[in-house]
Amino acid sequence: MIEMVRRFLRQRFSNVGVVIALSALALLLAPQIAGSGGQSSLDGVSTLALIILAAGCVARDASGGALQMILCRPIRRSDYLLGRYLGILLAFALFLVASAALGIAFARGIIPLLGGQARPVEFAALGAQLTATFLGGLATAATILLLSTFLPGYGDVLGFILLTPLSALPDVAGQVLRAPWLQRAGKILRENLLPSLDWTAVLHGRDPLGEASGRWVLAVVVSLIAALVIFSRREFAYGQD
Amino acid sequence: MISVENVSKTYGRFGRRTRALDGVSLEIQRGETLGLIGPNGAGKTTLLSCLLGFLRPDSGSLTVAGLDVDDLRVRARTGYMPERLGFDRDLSGASFLAFHWRLSGGDPARVDAEVQSAADRVGLDRSALWKKLRTYSRGMLQRIGVAQATLGNPDLLFLDEPASGTDPLGVAIVRDQILAAKARGATIVLNSHQLAEVERVCDRVVFIDHGRLTRSETLRGETASRRRAIVRVPETRIAEAHAALAAVGIAAEPGPEGSLRLAESSDADVAKAVKTLALADVPVLEVRSSAELEELFRAGGSPS
Repeated sequence: MIEMVRRFLRQRFSNVGVVIALSALALLLAPQIAGSGGQSSLDGVSTLALIILAAGCVARDASGGALQMILCRPIRRSDYLLGRYLGILLAFALFLVASAALGIAFARGIIPLLGGQARPVEFAALGAQLTATFLGGLATAATILLLSTFLPGYGDVLGFILLTPLSALPDVAGQVLRAPWLQRAGKILRENLLPSLDWTAVLHGRDPLGEASGRWVLAVVVSLIAALVIFSRREFAYGQD
Repeated sequence: MISVENVSKTYGRFGRRTRALDGVSLEIQRGETLGLIGPNGAGKTTLLSCLLGFLRPDSGSLTVAGLDVDDLRVRARTGYMPERLGFDRDLSGASFLAFHWRLSGGDPARVDAEVQSAADRVGLDRSALWKKLRTYSRGMLQRIGVAQATLGNPDLLFLDEPASGTDPLGVAIVRDQILAAKARGATIVLNSHQLAEVERVCDRVVFIDHGRLTRSETLRGETASRRRAIVRVPETRIAEAHAALAAVGIAAEPGPEGSLRLAESSDADVAKAVKTLALADVPVLEVRSSAELEELFRAGGSPS
């Protein structure tokens, strides 16, 4: 599995397009971190970074033929898949750490150099924000990984983007059709498919074992198990007869 | 060693179903080199994919030494080369080989020596080894693909068009690698359209057409069913050679450029013919064996 993680990191960080995109996003995050003293949420930009890192994580390997070359070696499919997942998370963690370092550099060096005054970075607050963002990313990465096991190319990203409006459909249909049961079903679907959890609050000890945490853990576990089941059953043709 | 029993595989859904394999049964013995021959779309790659566990048959079974083809013990002994090397193009040749060495469970301490040895085997020099795969020519990719497949001397080799796109030297290198693997007892399945190469290295060929195994031909050994021995002598001495062979009861059919096609092609028959010609003082310029696969291929592999 370690080989799979290493390969994922090498693939992503040797891709010039990915490195440029991540650098741009880190440059967007850095002033935000510097401006808020490390207290602001990093969710939006970092989710975009996570999507870039995870895009096509399995499908691109399968369509290029690399996956077939790996699978004919004594490697379990589960090892490959979990290696990809851990690779995404490690790459995401590296991105967050690099962004934080850049933010600190902005606060301590660049902003004062430009004559501005940055708020001093509170490391405890910044650490909590980074941890919350990283933990939030576990679910996003699991969902994209699941989608990548059966959607071709970058269909996983498209699928992830469409999940939010699609999961809201039953709710909307329930309102239009005046069917409270459909609205209720839609709400349950949305809450369980894409559960939102305020990790900053959880890290501060607010209801860590509550219903929202349970739903979030369940969503991650179900996504990973579903990805493993689909991937272990999938067929991979490698060429033309 | 490899057993394929009544394997069928269909692609597509609903009204657009294509039967890629239709009740294929096949036994491949340990140490045998088997060639898969057939026109494009015949089902050869599908069969290879099933043997490698990439595809699951709709019905039938595939085993290697009694184990499922997906078994990790089978994969630990497997080397595979796809027709087109679609691996991470940003890797250097050395990193690519090192990755596969580690993945195959090879000793990490020996990785550098193994990578160098594998590159030497296929004639890739040190400078090429440190270049990125994306800069490799088709021929170089094929060579490094063969080096990758033969890392750690696997017992089972699955090769899909290994010499496709290579120059004559590359073809010879690939052939040497197959023969070396064969010499150490590896079981090899070769999918290739290069019939001359198939003829040179394979013990047996099977013809696949429309997903069916239409014919099996043994090319080597006492049971060789389709081999032809050709002896070439100076054109001016062909009548003399023909008469000398006829005198000892060896039937031979004269051909172009001083060639004589022997009716019998066993090793003993060929040795007897050469000895007869030598005693008759007729110089033997060449002795070669031909399985006439092209002729069979043109006939669609159907029994003649």
